[in-house]
Amino acid sequence: MESAIFVQNLHKTFRNGSSLKAVDGVSFEVAPGEIFSLLGPNGAGKTTTISMLSALLKPDNGATGANDIRIMGRSLITEPLAAKAMIGVVPQDIALYQDLSALENLIFWAKMYGLKGTLLKTRVAEVLDLIGLTDRANDRISKYSGGMKRRVNIGVALLHQPKVIYMDEPTVGIDPQSRRSILDGVIALKNQGMTVLYTTHYMEEAQELSDRIAIMDHGKIIANDSHENLIRLVGQKTRISLSINTEPETMIEPWKACKGVSTIAIEESKINLLVDDSNKVLPRLFETAAAKDVRITSVEIQEPNLETVFLHLTGRALRDA
Amino acid sequence: MLSILNIALKDLTQIVRDWKSFLFLLIMPIAFTFLFGIAFSGNSAKEQDLRLPVGIINHDNQSPLSQELEKSVSASKVIKLKSGEEEALINQVTQKNLTAALIIPAGYGESLKSATPLQLSLWVDGVSNDGLSAQTEINVQASRLFSAVQTAKVLAPEGGPAFDHVLMNALQEWKNPPVALSQEDASLKNADLQPVSEVDNNFTHSSPGMILQFAIAGLMSCAQVVVSERKNHCLQRLMTTSASRVQILLGHYLSLVLMIFAQFILLIIFGSLVLKLTYFSQPLATLLITLSASLGIAALGLLIGVAAKSEEQAIGVSMIFMFLFAGLGGAWVPLEFTGKTFQAIGHFTPLAWAMDGFKNILSRGLGLESAWLPAAALLGYAIVFFSLANWKFKTQ
Repeated sequence: MESAIFVQNLHKTFRNGSSLKAVDGVSFEVAPGEIFSLLGPNGAGKTTTISMLSALLKPDNGATGANDIRIMGRSLITEPLAAKAMIGVVPQDIALYQDLSALENLIFWAKMYGLKGTLLKTRVAEVLDLIGLTDRANDRISKYSGGMKRRVNIGVALLHQPKVIYMDEPTVGIDPQSRRSILDGVIALKNQGMTVLYTTHYMEEAQELSDRIAIMDHGKIIANDSHENLIRLVGQKTRISLSINTEPETMIEPWKACKGVSTIAIEESKINLLVDDSNKVLPRLFETAAAKDVRITSVEIQEPNLETVFLHLTGRALRDA
Repeated sequence: MLSILNIALKDLTQIVRDWKSFLFLLIMPIAFTFLFGIAFSGNSAKEQDLRLPVGIINHDNQSPLSQELEKSVSASKVIKLKSGEEEALINQVTQKNLTAALIIPAGYGESLKSATPLQLSLWVDGVSNDGLSAQTEINVQASRLFSAVQTAKVLAPEGGPAFDHVLMNALQEWKNPPVALSQEDASLKNADLQPVSEVDNNFTHSSPGMILQFAIAGLMSCAQVVVSERKNHCLQRLMTTSASRVQILLGHYLSLVLMIFAQFILLIIFGSLVLKLTYFSQPLATLLITLSASLGIAALGLLIGVAAKSEEQAIGVSMIFMFLFAGLGGAWVPLEFTGKTFQAIGHFTPLAWAMDGFKNILSRGLGLESAWLPAAALLGYAIVFFSLANWKFKTQ
C-alpha cells in the first residue's frame, strides 16, 4: 500500500548570523489512516519538519532525488499544488482573522481551499457543527476563548476534507476540557479514515493517540516505532526520581557507580535514574547516600514510559532537553 | 484568479470594518479640502470686498459735474462710498469706522468751469496708509474731472451741447488710456495653451491635493491588514493552500487599488457636486489619472504592508510618506509657487504627477492628451513599488 506521507532525508539549516541545523536527515513514512506523532522537546525540529511538509519551508537539498516529500503519492517538491490539495494544516499558533467572525473565517478559508456553491455552504455548516460553534458562528474570533479559537483553528483545516492532516502542537496553552475535546476529535478523524501527523512535546498525548511515534531530538529522529515497541527499547528498566537534602550533583558520581544503574540525569532539582530492578537498586542508593551523609527526601518510582525511553536514548529528561 | 478576488474581498471587509478607515479615507480629506480651500481663498477678491469705506455728502447734487465726480469715485476699485449725515460720517472717521469723509460743497460743479474752482472737503487720517490711499484716489478722480472740464473749455468755449459732448468724450478717454500695462505668464505663453475660460474656484488645488494626501493616509488601515495577516500567522496558513505567493500579493494589491479608487471616486463626486469643480469636464482624463494614481499609491501601500515589521511601523511609515509626498508633491502649496529646483525635486514623488494630471483638467481646462504623461509616470511608480513589494515578499 502506498504511504500517505513519505518523507526522505530532509535537511534544514537556518543561517541567521550563526548556522543552526534544525532538521538533520529526517525520514519516515505514515500509512493511510494512521496517527503518527512526532514527539520531542521544544527546539527538537518538529515544527520545522512540519513546515517543510506544508510547503512553508523549502528543504535544503531541493528536488535532487536525495530528499523527497510525497503526500498520497504526489511530490510536494515537484507537484506542490496537487500535494497541497491533499493536506490540511493546523498550525501551532491560532491562524485566524481576529476581526472576522468564525463563519466569515470558515467561508474565506473554504474558498481558499477551492470549495464553492452548495458544497461550500454544506461543509462550513458541518464543520461548525463538528467544532460545536454553530450558535456562536457570527461572533468575531477576537471575542472567543482560547479553547474556542483552537477549535476553529482545527475546523479550518478540515473544511476541504483532506486525506492527510497535520496538527502542530494543537493543545498548547488551553484548558483541560478543550484539550480533551481536541484529543477526542483527533481520534474521531482517524476513525473517519484520515491520516494524522501530530506533533507534541506531551508524551501522554503521543502515548494515547498514536499508532506510531517518532522521537525527535536535535533535528534527528532517534526512534520510530509503536508505543509498545519503543517501551521495549528500555527493556525492564524502571525510572526512579529522587530528591535529596543537598545539591543534586553531589550524588551523581556515587550513584552512577552503583550496580544496576544504567542512566542518571538531573531534571530541575530531581535526580532521574534508569535502573534494571528498582527493588534491588533502591537499597543500594539509600546506603550510598547515607555513607555520604546525604538524606533522601523523596522517591518516585515509575514504570517504563516514553519519558523513560527519551531518557534512555538521550541521557536527558524530555522536559529539560 | 478566484483566490485573488477572495483575498481582496476579505481585505476590503476588514478595512471597511475599521472605523479609522472612514476617518482617513473620507472625513479627513473633505475637512482638509475645505480648510486648505479657505486658506487659499485669500488670493481671491471675488468673495471679499476689500475697498476702503469712504463717506460722501454731496451738497451740489443737482450739478451734472458733481454727479460725475460722485459716480467716478463710486466706480473706483479703491473706494466704496457710503452716504449719510455730515456729522455722523465725520464721527465715523474719528472712530475709524470710515477711512475718510468727502464733502462736495454746493456750487462745486459750476466752479470747475471757472478759474478758481471750489475746494473739496476731505476728513481723513492722513497718517494711515488707508487714509493716504483714499485721499490719493479722490484727488485722482477730481483731477481727471477738472482736466476734462478744462479740455472742454478749450475745445468748446461757446458752451452748450458742444461743451457737454467734448466733456463726455474727455471723461471717456480716461477709461481708454493710450498706454496700458499688462502682465502675462511666460510659462503659460510658452505652453501654447488653448484659450480657456479661467476657472475661479478656491478648491481647484485643495481638492486634488487632499484627495491624494489622504489616499496615502488611508494606506495605514490597508497596510495594517497585510501586516496583521502575517502576525496572526494567517499568511502561513494561506501558503498551505493552493494560492501562490504572487496570487496572495495580487489579492492584497487588488483590495488596495479598489479601496483607493473608491475613495477617489467618492471625493471627486463630492468635489463636482458640492465644490463645483470641473472633474467631469474631461471624464476620460479624470478616469485615467484616477486609475493610474490608485495603482501607484496602492503599490506603495503594498510595499509598506509587506516591509513593515509591525502595525505601528506601518502607521508610522505611512505617515512619513504622506507628509513627505504631500509636501514635496505640491498637495499643500502649488508647485507653481515654488522655484524650479523644488519643482524638479517634487516630481520625484508620484503625488506631483498626479497633481499635474488633476490640475491640467481643473485649472488649465486641458483634455485627455494632457493626462498621458502623468498617467505614465504614475504607472511607472506602480511597477517599481509592486516589484519591490514582490521581492520583499519572496525573501521573507
